[in-house]
Amino acid sequence: MSGPRVFVVDDHAMVRAGVRVELGDDVTFVGEAPDVGTAVEGIRATVPDVVLLDVHLPGGGGRAVLEALRTELPEVKWLALSVSDAAEDVIAVIRAGAKGYVTKTISGPDLLDAVRRVAEGDVVFSPRLAGFVLDAFAAIGAPEPAEEATDPGLDLLSAREREVMQLLARGYTYREIGSRLFISVKTVESHASNVLRKLQLSNRNELTRWAATNRLL
Amino acid sequence: MARSVPIGLPGIHQGTPPSDPGSSRGVITGVGPGERGATIDTVTTTATGTPTRAAAERPPFVRPRSGRLLAGVAAGTASHLRQDPLVVRIAFAVLATTGIGVVVYGLLWLTMPVAAPGEDPEPGTVQLGAGTGRRQLLVLVLLGLAASALFGQVLTSSGALALPLILVAVGLAVIWRQLDADRTLALPGVRWALAGGVVLAAGGVILLLATTGQLTAARDGFTATLVILTGVALATAPIWRRLLDSRSEERAARVRSEERASVAAHLHDSVLQTLALIQRHADDHQAVSRLARSQERELRAWLYDPKVVREGGTWAGLVAGMVADVEADHALIVDPVVVGDAPIDDELAALGAATRETLVNAAKHSGATAADLYTEVTPERVSVFVRDRGKGFDPATVPDDRRGLRDSVSGRLARLGGTAEIRSAPGEGTEVELVLPRVSS
Repeated sequence: MSGPRVFVVDDHAMVRAGVRVELGDDVTFVGEAPDVGTAVEGIRATVPDVVLLDVHLPGGGGRAVLEALRTELPEVKWLALSVSDAAEDVIAVIRAGAKGYVTKTISGPDLLDAVRRVAEGDVVFSPRLAGFVLDAFAAIGAPEPAEEATDPGLDLLSAREREVMQLLARGYTYREIGSRLFISVKTVESHASNVLRKLQLSNRNELTRWAATNRLL
Repeated sequence: MARSVPIGLPGIHQGTPPSDPGSSRGVITGVGPGERGATIDTVTTTATGTPTRAAAERPPFVRPRSGRLLAGVAAGTASHLRQDPLVVRIAFAVLATTGIGVVVYGLLWLTMPVAAPGEDPEPGTVQLGAGTGRRQLLVLVLLGLAASALFGQVLTSSGALALPLILVAVGLAVIWRQLDADRTLALPGVRWALAGGVVLAAGGVILLLATTGQLTAARDGFTATLVILTGVALATAPIWRRLLDSRSEERAARVRSEERASVAAHLHDSVLQTLALIQRHADDHQAVSRLARSQERELRAWLYDPKVVREGGTWAGLVAGMVADVEADHALIVDPVVVGDAPIDDELAALGAATRETLVNAAKHSGATAADLYTEVTPERVSVFVRDRGKGFDPATVPDDRRGLRDSVSGRLARLGGTAEIRSAPGEGTEVELVLPRVSS
């Protein structure tokens, strides 16, 4: 047994078993939990490298687990795992501190790759998440005069970050993006991390609300 | 001899039992008491002339929602009798001189049901152009005034009573009209009209009391009534409260159960059916995964997509439907990511067709089982990216007979002023980029 130490939180036993089978011996499973309460206790006890966190959980959802433990265990990395396509859910869990979001239909090798990348401190964008991010920042539109004491840069994506997000949404891997834009993979990763940070720190209400509004331009 | 048959026909109709226009005509005569014998005669002639039309179902005796002048009584009656509304209106106005018209109109207003939404009987005959409506209203008001003047002449003995009575009648008519049908109180005009009606009616009542010299007596009676009413209202307040509460509870429960029923119906129509199909095809892996995939997408759309997307009419909806079609017809799984949205116009529809062609092309030739579809709508342009990780090809060496991409995709885009770009190399998959500038917005 080797690889990152992984904790699985999902209320469906079949999903937990499936994830265990798919990741196999490439990671070390340190525990699993079906709800918020046991998850908080188990993660506190085992301090894993990566928590695979279901967005929808009995007892408050994956977000509750994240909010309970994020400041307490800053070294734990969180990867949201969900069947939900609802942008609000996804954005909410990312803003709560998850390092990435993958759907449960992801293939075994891709999931393993995502877990490894998160364990190394990178962020994981699925094309869909990249699309949500682009939509969210597009909904904010042009920067308005910042009435709160925030860094206005947090509310906008730089041209390069936007480019990276678009390529991610088009299904490019980090490596492909690097060679397409003539930058290193590390630079692509740092752009992606910056976008995630902006998503988490921007306190524009629109970010959490955008999806509820009519998306017509 | 040959001529006597069609004339005799309606007579036979008249005699035969129900399911026949003759019998329904009998009903009308009962409802609208003899005041419009003339109109009914006209109908009979029409029936004689064209038996086929008479055999057709008569429009229901209801008040239409549009094309009304006052309350739609005349319009509804006219459409039921297949008459010009103007004829019936004039008939009412003339009859108003004797007072019968007013009474009949009021009674019909009370008893005639309002047409169900979208079921206005024969809008062609009922509908009025705005101009003619105005003019007709004016003429009819004048007629009505003349009629009431005559009516007033008749009542000369108690002539002083006429004005207050008319005031009350007009005020009541205004109030009724405003509260009638589907007018909501939210509209400001309705509220003012309502207030005007109340003032008119109240003025009429006061005037009536004043002219009959019972104003002081009425004032005492009014005070007493007010005191009693207030007492009763206060005493029974808890009951009213409980009634209101239980009503709203009932409504909430009904909404819940209706929602549950609609969810159950949807799950039955979709998920349960698919599960049954999956059980039956358990050995056929491809069929099972295709069924599961299409069901998943359908359920997702139902759960998460905004209504505009589900019901079509926008780009995102078009893309979702197209992806579903392509996945159903080809062994290709497409993960669409849509950023932004816009209503569909001809150009977007053409872009959609080109996108579909691109996806089909990827399904047929790439050898890949999955493709990424990304489309972004900005105020300046709509871009579409279709990427597969299949075997790829050298765009320079595409044989002339394989023209799918070139003709239907590049050509289509070029006609719309857009561009199509293909990036591919053997072994590296293919990406097609379609860009359509948006000129209008």
